[in-house]
Amino acid sequence: MTRHEMSPWATVQDDSQLTGRPLVVPGAGPYGGDLEIPEPLVTGGKKWADVDRDICMHAERFPTRRWWLAFGVALALLGVLVVSLAVLIYSGMGVVGVNHPVGWGTFIINFVFWIGIGHAGTLISAVLYLFRQPWRTGINRAAEAMTIFAVACAGIFPIIHLGRAWFAYWLVPYPNARGPLWVNFTSPLAWDIFAISTYALVSIAFWYLGLLPDLATVRDRATHPWRRRLYNALSFGWTGSQRMWRHYEAAYMILAGLATPLVFSVHTIVSFDFATSVMPGWHTTIFPPYFVIGAIFSGFAMVITLMTFMRGYFGMKNYITTNHMEAMAKILMFTGMMVGFAYTTEFFMAWYSGSEWEGFVFKNRAFGPYGWAYAIMFTCNAIVPQLFWWKKLRRHTWVLFTVSILVNVGMWFERYVIVVTSLHRDYLPSSWGMYSLTFWDYSILIGSFGLFFTLFLLFVRVLPVVAISEVKGVMDPRVARSAPTDSGAAAVTAGAAPGA
Amino acid sequence: MMPTSTRGLLGHFCTPDEALAAAARVRDAGYRHFDFLTPFPVHGMEEAMGQKRSWIPWVTGVLAICGILFALGLQYWAMVFDWPLNHGGKPFNAWPAFIPITFEAMVFWAALGSAVVAVIAGKRDTIPQPPPLLVETGATVDRFVLWISATDPRWEPAEVEAFVRSLGANGVRFVDVSGGNDA
Repeated sequence: MTRHEMSPWATVQDDSQLTGRPLVVPGAGPYGGDLEIPEPLVTGGKKWADVDRDICMHAERFPTRRWWLAFGVALALLGVLVVSLAVLIYSGMGVVGVNHPVGWGTFIINFVFWIGIGHAGTLISAVLYLFRQPWRTGINRAAEAMTIFAVACAGIFPIIHLGRAWFAYWLVPYPNARGPLWVNFTSPLAWDIFAISTYALVSIAFWYLGLLPDLATVRDRATHPWRRRLYNALSFGWTGSQRMWRHYEAAYMILAGLATPLVFSVHTIVSFDFATSVMPGWHTTIFPPYFVIGAIFSGFAMVITLMTFMRGYFGMKNYITTNHMEAMAKILMFTGMMVGFAYTTEFFMAWYSGSEWEGFVFKNRAFGPYGWAYAIMFTCNAIVPQLFWWKKLRRHTWVLFTVSILVNVGMWFERYVIVVTSLHRDYLPSSWGMYSLTFWDYSILIGSFGLFFTLFLLFVRVLPVVAISEVKGVMDPRVARSAPTDSGAAAVTAGAAPGA
Repeated sequence: MMPTSTRGLLGHFCTPDEALAAAARVRDAGYRHFDFLTPFPVHGMEEAMGQKRSWIPWVTGVLAICGILFALGLQYWAMVFDWPLNHGGKPFNAWPAFIPITFEAMVFWAALGSAVVAVIAGKRDTIPQPPPLLVETGATVDRFVLWISATDPRWEPAEVEAFVRSLGANGVRFVDVSGGNDA
């Protein structure tokens, strides 16, 4: 609380007044050093009661025209996905460009792409929690939702890639009547099943645990008895009792601690799909860290994209401030540099290995027939984020948004480059070939965005999009408290808190 | 004047600091059947209320070990006994290759189990008469609500009310069994 007591920021009324710099009080810190007081995480002089209204509002009124417009587009794209999947299942995988010698095309590219997107959500919710970064509270709910929806999108692709998607349950080890037939537990593809399903379920559990107090808030604001009953059931009758918080806090910390190694393990295992093969360009020890950092990088780009919309269209600027965006820009630049470092290290390793095949694959990657894809990848991922050395650009909405889109494009091409260039020219030149995408390759990719945005738009309609109880915890009580009343209770249902 | 069917007493505080100070005084005054309802977790409330640390980490630990044993056991049994296959002359018990699935199973059991147990424990770890849910306390909005149950051995309505008022609480009121308010 000492940080709050010293806080001179009560006057910050607007996101645009934030500078991104702390207030420095010389000599006021420990041992006579300077005291740096960070800017508030919530602007607009909000009270705790205002937070409830501002955030629950979107789930409590009829959808706006803009929401319907966005939802219409998302649904149309989802339709594209459904049609594409129907065609793919009905006529077989031959309709996409996957063929000899590139047998791992569009499905694996999109699978790795979407799984990577998801990783930033877990990073924000778990890793930043363990590192005590209070700014995560504004964005963690939406980022975790993004994780779950991205994993849902990712899950489609390997199942279709099986060829006979209706036998997908054979991947699960269970006692069966097909003889004593088990999955090969030493295969990275079997590891994938465990990694992805664990990741999906733990992400959902973590997300839902965080939602419990906020569902109770929605319940207490509800005016319709059925809405009240529904949200009461969803919140498991949450009262906010300290006896609940005690176990809740312990479990939340534990889930954060478990989700952190989990998120690293998931993309490590995804990279094992490649690294345990004997293909030049894949069979490298750098793959696990390289994949993990690329995943976090791409995920943060998607978080920035989504948060830009939430700030603009849902009026969340007081909760997701420019300072939040700047913090994410810094992470984007940092991870972008690590990704760029990995790209160059790969070349060093190929040269230093002395292996002719490795050397050839990397020369072919950068300067061969797919050099254009490599150029897009390298430019978008390693060079463009360097813009964020300038504070002004980190805090500029359109620069941030454009860079986040470019990074998403670049990271899709990273997976394209990895999958296609290693396969299209391997050990045997007589087997070389090219890979070209067909209509259905594009439609399934575009359609997966439809699924993602449909789920996300539904999420913003029915659940609190910002972690209300966590945001309240980082607000300055002197500003956020409301005056005592004779009845004691605050204005719960009326939505007309004092000072609103 | 006092209602006969009183179930407990509510008192409201406006900031976490006030709530912490009040909790410590309620604890020191010897009350046992009391609780605080807060809109967000208040740091130091466990100590202020005289609670022990949550035992959830022990559940996590046991479940993590169960997950490890289950996954290792399943893989070892399937790959060595039930369906041994010769993959390029490698040993059946290729235990390093069992590690990824073992790790995932450990996280799966520990994380999901802890979440479920924590929710159930939060519902069950309660005083004999928990604060009634239907009373509008504002505890999910911006109020830090002290609840002293009528089951407390030290329960004496007039005394308790005076004590809670002396803590600086506002909106002090008795709550009856039916869940309605009785000011």
